[in-house]
Amino acid sequence: MLHVLALGLAALLCSTPVMAQETLLRTRLNSDIRSTDPGTNRDANTDAVVQHVVEGLVAYREDTSIGPLLAERVDQSEDGRTYTFTLRQGVRFHNGAVLTSADVKFAWDRYMRRETNWRCLPEFDGRGAARVTAVETPDPLTVVFQLAEPSALFLANMARVDCGGTGIWHRDSLNADGSWRTPVGTGPYRLGEWRRGQFVELMRFPDYVARVGERDGYTGNKAAFVDRIRWLIIPDAAAAKAALLSNTIDVIPDINSEDLPEYRARSDIRTSSTQTMGVMALLFQTRDPLLRDVRLRRAIALSLDLPEMARALSDGHSEYNPSIIPSRSPANGEAQREGYRRDLNEARRLLREAGYRGQTIRMLTTQRYSSVFDAAVMAQAMAKEAGINIEFDVLDWATLLDRYTRGDYAMMAFTYSARLDPSLSFEMVSGPKDAQPRKTWDNPEGLERLRESMRISDPARRQALFDDLHRRFIADVPMITLYNDANIAAFRANVTGFQTWPTGQPRFWGVRVR
Amino acid sequence: MIGYAVRRLLAAIPTLLLVAVSVFLLMRAIPGNPAQLMLGDAAGPEEVAALRQSLGLDAPLPVQFLAWAGMTLSGDLGRSITNAQPVLPLIIERFQVTALIVLVAVGLAALIAIPLGMLAAWRQNRALDFAIVSFATLMLSIPSFWLGLILLLVFGVWLRWLPVVGFVGFTEDPAAAAVYVILPILTLVLVETGAVARMARSATIDVLRLDYISHARAKGLSEYRVLRRHALPNAMAPTLTLIGLVLGNLLGGIAVIETVFTLPGLGRLLVEAIYQRDYPVVQGVMLFVALVYVVVNLLVDLLYPVFDPRVTAE
Repeated sequence: MLHVLALGLAALLCSTPVMAQETLLRTRLNSDIRSTDPGTNRDANTDAVVQHVVEGLVAYREDTSIGPLLAERVDQSEDGRTYTFTLRQGVRFHNGAVLTSADVKFAWDRYMRRETNWRCLPEFDGRGAARVTAVETPDPLTVVFQLAEPSALFLANMARVDCGGTGIWHRDSLNADGSWRTPVGTGPYRLGEWRRGQFVELMRFPDYVARVGERDGYTGNKAAFVDRIRWLIIPDAAAAKAALLSNTIDVIPDINSEDLPEYRARSDIRTSSTQTMGVMALLFQTRDPLLRDVRLRRAIALSLDLPEMARALSDGHSEYNPSIIPSRSPANGEAQREGYRRDLNEARRLLREAGYRGQTIRMLTTQRYSSVFDAAVMAQAMAKEAGINIEFDVLDWATLLDRYTRGDYAMMAFTYSARLDPSLSFEMVSGPKDAQPRKTWDNPEGLERLRESMRISDPARRQALFDDLHRRFIADVPMITLYNDANIAAFRANVTGFQTWPTGQPRFWGVRVR
Repeated sequence: MIGYAVRRLLAAIPTLLLVAVSVFLLMRAIPGNPAQLMLGDAAGPEEVAALRQSLGLDAPLPVQFLAWAGMTLSGDLGRSITNAQPVLPLIIERFQVTALIVLVAVGLAALIAIPLGMLAAWRQNRALDFAIVSFATLMLSIPSFWLGLILLLVFGVWLRWLPVVGFVGFTEDPAAAAVYVILPILTLVLVETGAVARMARSATIDVLRLDYISHARAKGLSEYRVLRRHALPNAMAPTLTLIGLVLGNLLGGIAVIETVFTLPGLGRLLVEAIYQRDYPVVQGVMLFVALVYVVVNLLVDLLYPVFDPRVTAE
């Protein structure tokens, strides 16, 4: 009897297939996401999560150029006013429905409604870079966008991460009254549980249709290998570090650079770092009674050892970049190397010429980002050597952003989020101050060249415009760009395939957990 | 006693009104624009203005206040600007986490600190007193976030006995939940033990000098009976006041502890809401915290007669 039971048990064990163990990857968010509605109620954390769930027609590649994602290809008419997107065949939404051009138009129409509060609406309704006059769907796999005027930024804006990548979602994402319910996208992960204040969980989408080839920025091969991703909300950096070291989480996508040597010394931790497209800068208010004099602004620029500041502030991860165009951008070439070199004698001469008599220049800064605060401290100390008297006020981020928006400052240490197109980099700081007080550079000729760079698509002509813009920018000294932030991630040694990239956003497709 | 409690609660209405008005005005007075924060540095004035309008922030302040006050009176604290969640359920959900940790921690701290304080008083100026006072002073001097991080390092990273981050609700899995709250509770117990022990010691020293204690000793009562039956009830009143204040203070939010241990509590909610200028959440939490203070202090006052019959609730 015992024999029979034993044999039966053995047979049962042999016939039961070995269940594959579910893989879980745990990562950190420093604050909760705001919503799951792409490009509307958002912040960087929201974008990071949502970009795993929804996909747009196009997306940024690793080198920050634009590539197709849900589109198989994109064709532009000769007059630059018509974009034809041919959709990939067989792409499925998380509810099993097949992606068609009607879905693209449905999502687009909602984006274009004012009540959606899509942050990128102005870029497509004529207030910004483009005006879309019509969207047509001649067949289930073709979408045609008609523009009023040619725009070099049409695809770039469509791919913007803060625009939610103009993600295409199924109509099941909405409630019956048209309000947002949950994202039913085409991404490699679908939304699982979102426990507010605690974690967001994403589940691998088994029917995901990946592009062939390699992972390439937010496009390319986005095959998912991890069954579940749990984004744990850990506000405190020290607690996050303890969690990584104790194997409670697997990845910290953005660590403090001062922790890097400790992580590197450990055999159970790996790191990855990349220079991002974010810009650290010292801004001048060119309408300030003192700083309206370009000689004084130039004197401050010449009083600073900018390469040294860049190295110290980035812990050696970034070099001084005089240009508003990030150093990783293909448009950052030889012309963009021209910047300011420390020359205390020349700075003192300019100060004398400008009639500066040691008046206090107030600089605003914040401690939310340690490098922003440190930049203010270093600038104060270095400028003092030339006889420039800078004092700074420390504000919380919300107040600093408010003062930035109103242009209410003399000097400000500030960090800009990533802009992936050179025109967008210049647009970020250029504009008429009367209408947009947050703009630091108000130069009509420069603005005309910037507008031209947004219209034309020819790379050589655009580059010539960017070179010219840079020279004018350096001459006007509306701000001093320091460097582009580094994104440094740390992860456990059992995680493979994780890599940082210039947007600074984490990607968990192509990642495995052993 | 019920009449007294009702009168005290009614007397709190002007306080709550004052809190509501002052928090509303203070939040609007500090710079920072929730719409701008949501849109980031790339947003233009038109987009910011449109979002402000859709959030109802473009209306005159009195109109905004009356709208909020009207909703509050009907039991609706509005919706979060940040994530559109209704504020009242959000507060209740987060308060449950905070209340659980605070009540357990303060209860344990009282159980440890009161005997410690009495022992120190009984052995005043001797080695035991010195040891207890030193421990209490050390606990009072250590910042709670630092102590929390050290405990995380020791028990989470080095020994790996306890989880470093995360939270599980008690209704979900009581055993797992207990594991996640051990370290925050331990941190709070250590910190609060210092304060309560010092108060218990000081109050007991005062009582031990009184004539009736000498009389009790002269009658031949054991020191244990003198302390427990005669000294403890009279030394409890000031200690209880302190415990009430500590409880009210902690129930209002233990933001630092909640941040270090990633607990989804009320304090973290408040701090995050302030940073994001989430006006309805800040207003709702502050009003709720004021109400908690009133209720806790009332409960402490109602407890006095239990320890000291000379005191009546009236």
